[in-house]
Amino acid sequence: MVTVIDILNILLPSLYALVFTVYTIDFVSDKRDLTSSKKLFLYSTVFIHLIYILLRTWNFNHAPITNKFELFTSIAFTISLAYFLLEILTKVRITGFFIIFVAFILQIFSSIFIENIYEVKEVLRNPLLGLHVISALLGHTSLIMSAIYGILFIILYNKIKQHNYGTIFNKLPNLELLEKMSFMSLLIGYIILSFSILIGAIWLPIAFPDFKHYDPKLISTIFIWIVYSSGIAAKIFFKWYGKKVIYLSLVGFIVLIFSMLVPIIFKTSFHNFQ
Amino acid sequence: MDLIGISMNFRTAPIELREALSLSSTEITEFVPLLKNDFLSSGYILSTCNRTEIFGFPKDKELAHHKIENFLINFKQVREIRDEHFSKFHSFEALNHVFRVASGLDSMMLGDSQIFGQVKNSFKLADDLEFSNPVLQRMFNSVIVAGKRAISETKIGEGATSISYAAVQLVEKIFSNLASKKVLVIGAGETSELVITHLKSKETKDITITNRTLAKAEELAQKYNLKVLDFSLLKEYLHEFDIILSATSSDLPLVLYSDMQNAMKKRKGNPVCITDIAIPRDFDSKVSKIENVFYNDIDSLNSIIESNLQKRKHEIPKVEKIIEHEMNELMKWYNSLGVVPTIKSLRNYFEDVRLDELKKIKNKIQESDYDKVEDMTRRLLGRLLGAPTAKLREISEKSSHSSEILTYSSVLKELYNLNGQSTKE
Repeated sequence: MVTVIDILNILLPSLYALVFTVYTIDFVSDKRDLTSSKKLFLYSTVFIHLIYILLRTWNFNHAPITNKFELFTSIAFTISLAYFLLEILTKVRITGFFIIFVAFILQIFSSIFIENIYEVKEVLRNPLLGLHVISALLGHTSLIMSAIYGILFIILYNKIKQHNYGTIFNKLPNLELLEKMSFMSLLIGYIILSFSILIGAIWLPIAFPDFKHYDPKLISTIFIWIVYSSGIAAKIFFKWYGKKVIYLSLVGFIVLIFSMLVPIIFKTSFHNFQ
Repeated sequence: MDLIGISMNFRTAPIELREALSLSSTEITEFVPLLKNDFLSSGYILSTCNRTEIFGFPKDKELAHHKIENFLINFKQVREIRDEHFSKFHSFEALNHVFRVASGLDSMMLGDSQIFGQVKNSFKLADDLEFSNPVLQRMFNSVIVAGKRAISETKIGEGATSISYAAVQLVEKIFSNLASKKVLVIGAGETSELVITHLKSKETKDITITNRTLAKAEELAQKYNLKVLDFSLLKEYLHEFDIILSATSSDLPLVLYSDMQNAMKKRKGNPVCITDIAIPRDFDSKVSKIENVFYNDIDSLNSIIESNLQKRKHEIPKVEKIIEHEMNELMKWYNSLGVVPTIKSLRNYFEDVRLDELKKIKNKIQESDYDKVEDMTRRLLGRLLGAPTAKLREISEKSSHSSEILTYSSVLKELYNLNGQSTKE
């Protein structure tokens, strides 16, 4: 079983590289229609990644969410799955060039550094933690997608403003759709992440009775929540459009990445499980 | 194929001459019987703003192109036209030209899809006027198949190549649902009308028009079911529109930077797409600096067109491949027309010989032996004629020149005396 997992661990970055290459060729070249190849490679990669996640969970008796490199492969999987569903729903098949790139990078790091861990700390086996991590995972995925669509919006916005009608102009979907995709992902991510924070807040005093209220993880989490809340409020109540909301969402995303690194930077944080 | 053709088009003659020689459907209806009477047994006439072409099969194989040219010039009474204003085509070149025109490769705007419909109509008119024949009808079908394939299998017709359509393409890159957007058209000229037509085809419902001369705006409003805005209220209502198209002949800018700034404040930053096709421009070009204002003038639209044309140029080899394939299929069919009667005559000749010889021995042998001989001779004939028949068909299918088929057919006819002479000794 471990051999199969190890083979899949090596195979997955190669598959993501292949999917990314096909999407790149299709994005930059007008010569051939690669829709069928894109579908074939993406669908097979998502399926094989699902098998990999299930095999790991079954063989090591825990979901791959107990350390950052396990989380990387899980996030790569949820990103690909979310993009796969988005492609089917919207029929927009061109943005995969950007989305799959993120999944590819995460999977490379995961495949290189992931370890086969059979024993995990007792605190990590708590069902509340499982709910907290899974919702955080889905929330992060949505926010990553929102950030990518946001960046694409800004690129296309600038191209149109500069009257630069090249490949980006021709290939990307329209600004309104990009903004909508970015905001919808943001909204979904915000709701799921809020739920995750809530579960974490319930679980935290039970698991760590001596936690500190000024723990960097807590402060950064509250800050992220405030930034995203402001962006959503500005969009809904003040009818902000485009760049302003997207910049706010990107600030939230940068803080989110920083927050993920908090346990590495501040070894004293309760969120450091290693 | 003895197809011949003449063409006066945008490459050979200026617009004044093309206009003068252009034929309406009524004129074609009058002209075809005269043409049929003197020069062509069958054919078709295509007449658009960019070309007037006559193609067909001549009654007299020695018919010179200039006779058709002069006949047309006399019919239209245009004396300024000379021989060099026409392109002349014969045989394979003529056929290739017909395919290229229908597929948009010969159009002034490469990949123009309008020409395909015009070619189809000209074929239909030829049919209606009983000016076509089975060979021409088969050619029409092949040309239509090639044209359709060029549109569906390649990107030769993709992307805007006119200012009015480029304006719409740009709007579609900003908004996803044009049906829910409010549009303002400033000016009631030809360009405005073209843009309105394109926007209407994209399901845009809420279009308002404003013009200095109110009557002109009202005329277009009535024609396309638009709302009308009083020209003096333009600045006051500017903020209400998501898409603004301006194409007036005003010497001074109609909308200043400050006007647009005020409008954007009222719009709370919601995006607006402004397409300014006027020369001189109707908007202060500085408005493009305002956030969420997407301002485009004629130069930026031209760069969209140029980029689309470059992409279309890359598609030419694909279309040429389609044309080559469809022309080969047509030629196979056409060449088989010449070889089929020869094969039939050859088989009839051998069958007559066989029957004649059988008749001679019928009363000299027993009936059971006769049956055996009869059977044996039939098989013998099948084997003897199988190879040459297959070879003839193969030559007819592979060869693109009817003269080669004709040579083979003539030799066979000569050798076996297939021109109606008796097989009896």
